[in-house]
Amino acid sequence: MQEFLQYLFSGVTNGAIYAVIALGFTMLYNATGLINFAQGEFVMLGALSMITLWKGLQLPLPAAFLLTVAVVALVGLLLERLAIRTVRKPHPIVLVIITIGASILLRGIAMLVWGKDAHSAPSFSRLAPIEIAGATLLPQSLWILGVVLAIVIGLQIFHRKTMTGKAMEACAISKRAASLLGIPSERMVLLAFALSAGMGSIGGVLIAPITMSSYDMGMMLGLKGFCAAMLGGLGSSWGAVFGGMMLGILEAMAVGFFSSDLRDAVAFFVLLLILYARPSGLLGVKAVQRF
Amino acid sequence: MNDSEPFAGKPQPILRVKSIAKAFGGIQALYNVTFEVATGAVHALIGPNGAGKTTLFNVITGAYAPEEGQVLYENSEIQGKKVHEVVSRGIARTFQNVELFGSMTVLENVLVGRHVRMRCGFWGAIGRWPRVRSEEREAREHARELLDFVGLGNMAEHRSTDLPFGWQRFLEIARALATQPRLLLLDEPASGLNAVETQQLGELLLQIRSRGITLLLVEHDMDLTMGISDRIVVLHQGQKLAEGPPREIQCNDDVICAYLGSDQEMSG
Amino acid sequence: MRKLKYGFFLLVIMAAGLGITNSYYLQLLTFIGINTLLALGLNMLMGYAGQISLGHAAFYGLGAYTTAILTTALNWSPWLALPAAIVLVSLVAFLVALPMLKLSGYYLGMGTLGFGMITFILIRQWSTVTGGDSGLVGVPSLALGPLSLASGKAYFYLVWVVVLISFIVCERLVDSRVGRALRAIHDGEQVAAAMGIDTSRLKIGVFVLSAIFASVAGFLYVHLVSFISPNSCDFLVSVRLVTMVVIGGMASIWGSLLGASLLTILPESLHVFSDYEMIVYGLILMIIMIFLPQGLTRGLLDLYERSAAVYPRKVKSREPADE
Repeated sequence: MQEFLQYLFSGVTNGAIYAVIALGFTMLYNATGLINFAQGEFVMLGALSMITLWKGLQLPLPAAFLLTVAVVALVGLLLERLAIRTVRKPHPIVLVIITIGASILLRGIAMLVWGKDAHSAPSFSRLAPIEIAGATLLPQSLWILGVVLAIVIGLQIFHRKTMTGKAMEACAISKRAASLLGIPSERMVLLAFALSAGMGSIGGVLIAPITMSSYDMGMMLGLKGFCAAMLGGLGSSWGAVFGGMMLGILEAMAVGFFSSDLRDAVAFFVLLLILYARPSGLLGVKAVQRF
Repeated sequence: MNDSEPFAGKPQPILRVKSIAKAFGGIQALYNVTFEVATGAVHALIGPNGAGKTTLFNVITGAYAPEEGQVLYENSEIQGKKVHEVVSRGIARTFQNVELFGSMTVLENVLVGRHVRMRCGFWGAIGRWPRVRSEEREAREHARELLDFVGLGNMAEHRSTDLPFGWQRFLEIARALATQPRLLLLDEPASGLNAVETQQLGELLLQIRSRGITLLLVEHDMDLTMGISDRIVVLHQGQKLAEGPPREIQCNDDVICAYLGSDQEMSG
Repeated sequence: MRKLKYGFFLLVIMAAGLGITNSYYLQLLTFIGINTLLALGLNMLMGYAGQISLGHAAFYGLGAYTTAILTTALNWSPWLALPAAIVLVSLVAFLVALPMLKLSGYYLGMGTLGFGMITFILIRQWSTVTGGDSGLVGVPSLALGPLSLASGKAYFYLVWVVVLISFIVCERLVDSRVGRALRAIHDGEQVAAAMGIDTSRLKIGVFVLSAIFASVAGFLYVHLVSFISPNSCDFLVSVRLVTMVVIGGMASIWGSLLGASLLTILPESLHVFSDYEMIVYGLILMIIMIFLPQGLTRGLLDLYERSAAVYPRKVKSREPADE
């Protein structure tokens, strides 16, 4: 029982991270129909920037947090403006390769800036780990869950109550109809990129204290976040959260009860399973043909 | 041109559409559509925009499966069958927006149409046995014949998208003919053609009919439609509004009413 | 005309083999040949059929590991291991393609990526058979009966003859019923189906073909360097393969040669700036895709055509089948 709880805790913690990364994918996909292979690099940039700003430059925590998110969102913006919007023929293959190129580029830059070493960050709060029924829960996990919950609620409010949010929803449903109604779809796309980059960076910020961050951490995280998004259903925000949590828990169980070697494979097995059995995901809408 | 001669075709209608219903989400695109196309006839499908004509084409060719109803081609049910299977049975189509293969030449486009009547596979392509070579030679001969037939004989080596628009439409027809269909579906073949080209199209269609191929066309050009069709089906908001020979349709009040507000005149 | 082209190519190979004595250059050219094979196969899938595979390194790895295992642990002759590897890879490719090719665009890319990653992870974890992270050593070199092919020169000839044969195979394929159908699928899959093409079957076929090319490349690689490790078939390798095809020019057979050459030589020359390698890769990928999405070959040709165009040009049609 204790073991199970332990796995559950670590699973939920990782799951929340995957959820926030998955939300980035979903949000971008919803607004643009694009899948950004560089999403994982935003996570990495978030983590490493946070470490530099908070640990290195000793900025206060909230400032470091906000500045990190802003910087990475800016990177996302640049990516859209320079790379995506200028594309002559937006064929899926072309866009896929561009975002792959972007991810390699970002990784290369990160390697120059931060080197190949792994960096660590202290927890957000100096509390001791919490004991529950014999299993340990890190306070950082609570932070993670709390922030992710706040993001999810924030997104709901954004989409339901604010004009911009509703405008983005409209773009997702039909870009042409939206632009006929005067919604500037180009600006929406830009916003979507910035937001999804920001979300990725938040994932990085949250995960930095509980893992070693290095320039190449982004790829796996991005891929797994994508698997989570697919698991829940690519168009659905709740799907992203659900998928993320599920993936985190499945991973933890696989590692705990079978072998840690299987850890990375779980996400991809899940991905393939979903693609074969139910491409629209567990909670998603049936529109698979979209591309 | 407007003759009411009895058709020399087979007694059985080549195509029977029975109570077809097709919906997309909340929109009922087609409902209870029933009609027959006589073998060897030129049959037209008209109606205001959004009436469901292209949707009906898509149901007949297998691109969509209807929720209800049947499509009977030469007495066998084909609704819901895969598109390429329907083609091999003898139904070909052209598209509303000309959909040529842009990376290929004019000749190659027609050769693609021939695909379904050839047999060379991966091994044959690599090995180039004599049988494969002669199949390819024959295919090229037939393709060139078809290009001559539609008047594009000396454009064979041009890239298909380099052709002027009107000629692209003719190319699409040649390509569809290469599949050796017995029923040819044409989706607005005159759209975008000037008066001369439309005249040529009309003549071409009648020549195709005289080769024994049944034609079902969706058209907005009323001169052309009334001029060459033996029978017309009118669709309106997904349902059949009227059916009959051109003269009847022109005088049909419901039909005129449905078209009210558009610039089309029911002339002919 | 075409035979002239191949004859000339053969002459160039012979001349290079005789003329080049520096073993480093010889090996570099051999690697270019192996990469060309990979690029060719992937090009048939991506360039002609318009599909995408982000996990092709997996087939390369499967080919390499199969022959490595069979020739070291089971002492098979490499010439038996080759067909075994091809059969295994064909089977895997077929099973992967069946469900996967129903997807399109991103989903297909993701699916192939997932497959590639799983294969990579399995290879790394199944250490009893594959040697895990350390890989396998001691893979024997090739010999044709009494004639040893271990020397750099002999292997150079072997690889490039295989490349030449592959060029012929691909050109024949492209200019055939199958090739036209593939190009039709690329131009418009729904329309291709409306012309009677069984798109699923063809996509699966070309996927398996490209996997076979990759496995042969893997075979040649392993018997050249007598060593294989998971690093040779990870995600970055898959990306490199896609880059080769993209740069050289999709739907351009000689473009595969160009792309393979560039991406074999570039890392070598970038070693000095190994820190910048990723940045350069990333930038190259992005810039080419943004400005020349058809790759260098087609892209440059297009630029030339556009600048020289006054009248509509006749496109050179491919030669008829009766050569």
